[in-house]
Amino acid sequence: MITLATYPVIVLRSGTGYRRRKTTNVLMLVITGLLTLAALIPLFWIISYVLYKGGQYINLAFFTQMPRPLGMEGGGVLHAIEGTLVLTLLAALIAIPPGVIAAFYVAYNPNKPLGVAVRFGTDVLSGVPSIVIGLFGYALIVKAQGHYSALAGGVALAILMLPTIIRTTEEMIKLVPHTLREGSLALGAPEWKTALSVTLPAAANGIITGFLLGLARASGETAPLLFTALGNESYEIGRIINSGIAGKQGIFAILDRVLDQPVDSLPLTLWKYAQQPFPERISQSWAVALVLMLIVLLLNIVARLWVQIQTNRLQGK
Amino acid sequence: MDVDMKLADNIAMRNSSVHIPPLIVREASPIPESDLMQNKIELVDFSFYYGKFRAIGNINLAMPVHKITAIIGPSGCGKSTLLRAINRMNDLTPGVRTEGQILLDGEDLYQPGTDVVDIRRRVGMVFQRPNPFPKSIYDNVAYGPRLYGVRRKSELDMIVEGSLQQAALWDEVKDKLRQSGMALSGGQQQRLCIARALAVQPEVILMDEPASALDPVATLKIEELMQVLKDSYTIIIVTHNMQQAARVSDFTAFMMIDSPQTRTGVLVEYGPTPQIFTNPKHPQTENYVTGRFG
Repeated sequence: MITLATYPVIVLRSGTGYRRRKTTNVLMLVITGLLTLAALIPLFWIISYVLYKGGQYINLAFFTQMPRPLGMEGGGVLHAIEGTLVLTLLAALIAIPPGVIAAFYVAYNPNKPLGVAVRFGTDVLSGVPSIVIGLFGYALIVKAQGHYSALAGGVALAILMLPTIIRTTEEMIKLVPHTLREGSLALGAPEWKTALSVTLPAAANGIITGFLLGLARASGETAPLLFTALGNESYEIGRIINSGIAGKQGIFAILDRVLDQPVDSLPLTLWKYAQQPFPERISQSWAVALVLMLIVLLLNIVARLWVQIQTNRLQGK
Repeated sequence: MDVDMKLADNIAMRNSSVHIPPLIVREASPIPESDLMQNKIELVDFSFYYGKFRAIGNINLAMPVHKITAIIGPSGCGKSTLLRAINRMNDLTPGVRTEGQILLDGEDLYQPGTDVVDIRRRVGMVFQRPNPFPKSIYDNVAYGPRLYGVRRKSELDMIVEGSLQQAALWDEVKDKLRQSGMALSGGQQQRLCIARALAVQPEVILMDEPASALDPVATLKIEELMQVLKDSYTIIIVTHNMQQAARVSDFTAFMMIDSPQTRTGVLVEYGPTPQIFTNPKHPQTENYVTGRFG
């Protein structure tokens, strides 16, 4: 009689079955290995090609100088680096507070109508083509202001980041053990206090990773900026600061100048440079691609390091 | 055994390197006269519903002040629901409803207009799994006092040290108060959670299987601690471990579901612990405490 206990012995002893399993195992291992390699090929191809093409042009001046007039050698993309920083920082400032608050609501009220609506809304929003979001920014701010601006670009990128922030934050909040929340509530802490001083710090690692990944994605976007930030080859924060208007009109005058004019970003510059009929600009666009990649890579590394350090600190290492 | 002897016993146990839990049930002592004994918590015809489901029904139970009351019973009989009803932690679940009363010093916890925050300050809770906040040891203990507006550092220092000492954890952590509470061992984490509960100076401490996630040595430390704490607090403990109930508690309540269909938890028997374990009145209690089911 074959019982559950004797079954494995029988299978193990039958030689053909054993050999077939061995061969299948090796075969599958080879196939999965090859497919994994195939998936990695485009990644390394892109990275090495951009490194090769862009690396030829990169030097310190590329990071610190403004663009030269068309057809002239040299110069850098300081305007686009500054613009990218301004745009992504602005987007983060606009998107993070409401995103985190919405995430708390959704995580705690997943079945209430508003919770369901927010979740559905974020899913839809993350599927909206980014060019449409750019168009929305145009209609909302550019038309109202009467001109393209960093502000409009920041808002467009913020809308783009919002779904990522809400969904990652929500997932991270859900991962916090509910006993932690109960521990705080059992001490008489109100729900908001518990959220702020227990749940949020406990989920901070994941949330910050979500922020940085959202930032990385936003900093690589081009389409929404076409309609909003437009581009500006003479954008230079240093000159605005050195112009001395802060002394005359206060620090907000600087902020106003920084946000109120059109601005370039790295992907936008890449897109524009690559279309121009000057070899100098074409090779510069490769270098821009490299810088952009390095920034995204740096953001990713910082995110991971930060999580690692925080986790170690909590575990007392 | 009077209080002083018990204290001496505890100190002796803590000093000895090997702990052997006293497995023998203490001799039956006469029930204290009800007029001498003040009831800290009283459940009057208390029923609890999750939506339509009646989780516990018509419980009448009086828990005396400065005693340890154990609630035992098979899984799913509503022990934890009952415990969590006492500091209204069940309020967090949507669709819950209560009938009857739970009196804390004679005042109904469920009457309209009761301040839940105040209840939770007066009735602290220790959970099954240690749940220190992802903060330093100091901040874990100071969390409660800070909630209630203690800001001065000297005052906080005093509360933190006092609470950790009461929880028998001070000597182990006094040099690393700034370290994360999550870096401690499981038993230390649980004592940290006890210290955290003590820091808001509660009157009652609810313990929901506080040692079920701990090893025997850490369990014994918690049990010793309970004996010391009961002089200042009223303790109610839910436990699966009958030896633990026999060892630590003064009174024991045995709960069971009334029928497999309704699955409502009811109180079968309640009395002094020695009586429940050596001379139970109800046959089901006897079956349970002798290990014949559950």
